[in-house]
Amino acid sequence: MHRMERIWKELGMAVLIGSILLLGGCGTKEAAREKGKVFHYGTMAYGPAMQNAGLDPHDSYCGWSAVRYGVGETLFKFDQNMHVQPWVAESYKQMDDYTLEIRIRDTVTFSNGKPVTGEAVKKCLEDLMKRHDRAPHDLKIDRITAEGQKVTIHSKEKVPALINYLADPYGAIIDVDAGIKNRIAVGTGPYVAVHVDDKGIELKKNEKYWGEVKPKLDRIVVRSITDGDTLAMAMQSGELDAVQGLPYESLKNFSDASKYRISSCATSRVYQAAMNFKTPVLQDNRVRQAIVMAIDKQQFVHVLLNDNGEAAVGAFPVHTDFGKGLHVPSYDLEGARKLLAEAGYTEKDADGYVMKNGQPLSLRWLTYTSRQELPLLAEYAQSQLKKIGIKLNVNATDNYKDFLKRGEYDIYAQAMVTAPTGDPEYYLMSKIASGQPYNNGYYTNSRVDQLISQLHNTFDRSERNRLAIEIQQQVLDDNAVLYVSFLRMSFVMKKNVTGFAAHPSDYYEITPELDL
Amino acid sequence: MISSRKRRFQSCLVLVVLLLLSCLCWQWLVPFDPYAQDLGKALRPPDGVHLFGTDRYGRDLFSRVLAGGQLTVFSALAVVLTASVTGSLIGLICGYRPGKTATLLLRLADVFLAFPSMVFAIAVAGILGGGTFNAGIAIVLVAWPKYTRLACSTVLPLRHEPFIEAARMSGCTDGQILFQQILPLAVGPLAVTAALDVGTVIAELAGLSFLGLGTAPPAAEWGSMMSGSRNLLQSAPWTVLAPGLGIFLTVAVCQLFADALRDYVDEKG
Repeated sequence: MHRMERIWKELGMAVLIGSILLLGGCGTKEAAREKGKVFHYGTMAYGPAMQNAGLDPHDSYCGWSAVRYGVGETLFKFDQNMHVQPWVAESYKQMDDYTLEIRIRDTVTFSNGKPVTGEAVKKCLEDLMKRHDRAPHDLKIDRITAEGQKVTIHSKEKVPALINYLADPYGAIIDVDAGIKNRIAVGTGPYVAVHVDDKGIELKKNEKYWGEVKPKLDRIVVRSITDGDTLAMAMQSGELDAVQGLPYESLKNFSDASKYRISSCATSRVYQAAMNFKTPVLQDNRVRQAIVMAIDKQQFVHVLLNDNGEAAVGAFPVHTDFGKGLHVPSYDLEGARKLLAEAGYTEKDADGYVMKNGQPLSLRWLTYTSRQELPLLAEYAQSQLKKIGIKLNVNATDNYKDFLKRGEYDIYAQAMVTAPTGDPEYYLMSKIASGQPYNNGYYTNSRVDQLISQLHNTFDRSERNRLAIEIQQQVLDDNAVLYVSFLRMSFVMKKNVTGFAAHPSDYYEITPELDL
Repeated sequence: MISSRKRRFQSCLVLVVLLLLSCLCWQWLVPFDPYAQDLGKALRPPDGVHLFGTDRYGRDLFSRVLAGGQLTVFSALAVVLTASVTGSLIGLICGYRPGKTATLLLRLADVFLAFPSMVFAIAVAGILGGGTFNAGIAIVLVAWPKYTRLACSTVLPLRHEPFIEAARMSGCTDGQILFQQILPLAVGPLAVTAALDVGTVIAELAGLSFLGLGTAPPAAEWGSMMSGSRNLLQSAPWTVLAPGLGIFLTVAVCQLFADALRDYVDEKG
C-alpha cells in the first residue's frame, strides 16, 4: 500500500516536472518568436485618452492608429509639403462642383487577399458616413456610385477640400464585409493587427501587401506609455527600438549619435489660447491685445520647449501656403501696460494687480495636462501677465470639458492640429466661424464669417490660400486667439532603425520602409 | 543636573523652533522672489548666486524651497492638529461612555484603519479634486482613527479607578472628569503620536502633490515642485533634489523631536 502511494507520489512529481518543462518549452517558443525581426515601439499618442485605442477607422480617432501603425491606407496621402498625392487611389477628376470621380489602383488588395474595387470603396465610405461622428459633416456626401475600379462621389454642397478630407485617417479603406473583430479592421496596409487592447497593438507582416516596397519586419509591438520618464527609461534600457512623444528635456539624453538617431519635423499642431468674448473685460480689444503682447513666444519656444517648436504668428505654420505674410503685435511689456492704462486700468491693488472701478483685473485660464506643454504655457503666461498687472488663475485639469460646457473660463488654452487635411478650411470653419461648437471663445465677426463662406465655395487653390490669410489677419487684428507656438515632433530610435521618420501630418509612422 | 534625555529633547526643540522660524520668516530670508520667472536663467546648476540652482522657469530654487516650507510645514501641522484633536475627542468619549454609539464609532475607525493609508488618501483626494485643502482633508480622514484608538484604550482602564469614582461622587460633571482628570493622563502618548505624525503627514502631503492631487503649481510646495521637475531628473537633477532635501530635513527634524519627546515623557512619567 505504502509502495503504491510512493509510486503515485513519484508519478505526480513526474507529471509536475513534465508540466514545468512543458511550460518552459512554451517560454522557449516565445523566445523563438522573438528571433524574427521584431520592432518594439513605445508611444505616448495611443490610448483611450486620445480616443484612438483600436483600429476601426470609422470609430472616433481610431483611424489615426490604423494609418499610423501601418494597417490602414487612405485614398490619398500627404507628401512632406502636405500636398495631396494618390495612394489607394490612382487618380481623380473633379467632374463639376458637386461631383468627384476617383479611380482605384488595380493592384490594391486587402490584407485578406480580396481586391479593392470601386464597390468595396463605396461600401467603406457609406459605412464611414453611417458610423463616424465627424466625417458626414466634413464630406457632405449625397450618394456614391461605383463601376469597376471607378468611384463617383456626389456631394450635397460644394466641398472644395474633398480629396483632402479623404486623406484624413478616418478615410482609411477597410473591407466592410470582413467586419470589425476585437477592434481590428481588415485594411490594405503593410501590417496586419494580431491583437489590440487599450495598452497597445501587436502587428505582423502583411504577406499579401500590394505595394512595390514589401514590409520587412516580422512583428511589431506598439506599446502605449503615457509617462514621459517611463518612456525615456524604457528607451535607454534598450527595451524599445523607437519612441514617440518624449519630454523635451529627455531628448538630450539621446544625443549620442553612435547609439541613437532623432527624426524631427515641424507640424501644424499649435498651442493657442482663445479669448472668451462673453467675459466682459475681454470684450475690450485693448485688454486682449495687452495679453497678446505680454507673451514672449520666442522665449517660450527656446527655453520651455527646448527649441522643439517654432513661434507662431497665425493658425498655420509659415511654411504652408496659407500661413505666410501675417503680422501680430510684437512682445512689448511696456506697450501692454500702456494699453491697459488706456483701457482704464490705472489703479493698482496691494499685490500690484491693475484695477478699474476698484475691481482687480483677474482672469481664469483653462487648460489640460495631457499635453505636457500646456501646463508649462499656463505657468509661463501667469508669470508674464503678472508683470503687466493681470492676475491669472490657472485651472489645468483633465476635466476641462465640464468647465468648457459651463463656460467657466476667460481664456481657453489648447493644442490642436490646425491643418490635418493640408487645407485651412477645417480649422477656420470649426474654430473661428460664428456659432460653431468648437469656437470656444464665442468669437464672432461678420466679415470673417463672410470670408469663410467664400472660402467654402472656392475651388481655386491660390484663391483659397489668399482667403485663409485674410481671415487669419482679421482674427489676429481682433486679438481673438493668441497663437503661441507650433510643435516640432520628434522620434527617437536606435541607430539600427531605418525607414522611420517624423512626418508633418503626424499620420504616417510605420511604413513598409521600416527596417532594423 | 540635566539628564541626557532632557538635553536631547531641548536640542531637538531648538531645531524645531528654528525650522518654524524659517518657515514663518521666509520673506526676509530668501535672496530672490521665489515666484519671479526669468527664462534667461533657466536650469542653472547650483553656484554662489543660486545656492540650489534654478528651475526651468529660471526661478531661484533656494528661495522656493524656503518659501515652500511655510506651506508644507504649516499644512502638515494643521492636518495633524485637526486629526489628533478630532480623533482624541472621539476616543475619549468612546472610552468614557461605552455603548452602541461608541461601538459604532470604533468600528468606523476600524474600517478606516483597514485601508492602506496612502491608497485611501489618494482615493479621497481623487474624489474631492486637487488642492492643498482637499489633500489635507484626505489625510485627516486617514489619520484620525489611530488617535481614537489610542485615546480610547487609555481611558477604558481609568473609568473605574478610585480617583475617578471620587471625582464623580464629589459632584464633578462628565466634562470635568474627562478634561480635568483623564485627559492629562492621556495627553503624553497622544502628543508623542502627533509629533511622530508630523513627519509622516509632510511626506504624505508631498506625495499627493507629487501625484498632482495636492497643491497646484506655481505654489512653492515641495511635493509639487518635485513633481513638476521629474522630467528633469537626468538632465537637471538639482531641480528635484532641492525640494527633496527640504522634505528630508523637515521630516528628519520632526522624527528626532518626536523620539526625544517620547523619551522625555517616559522619563517624566
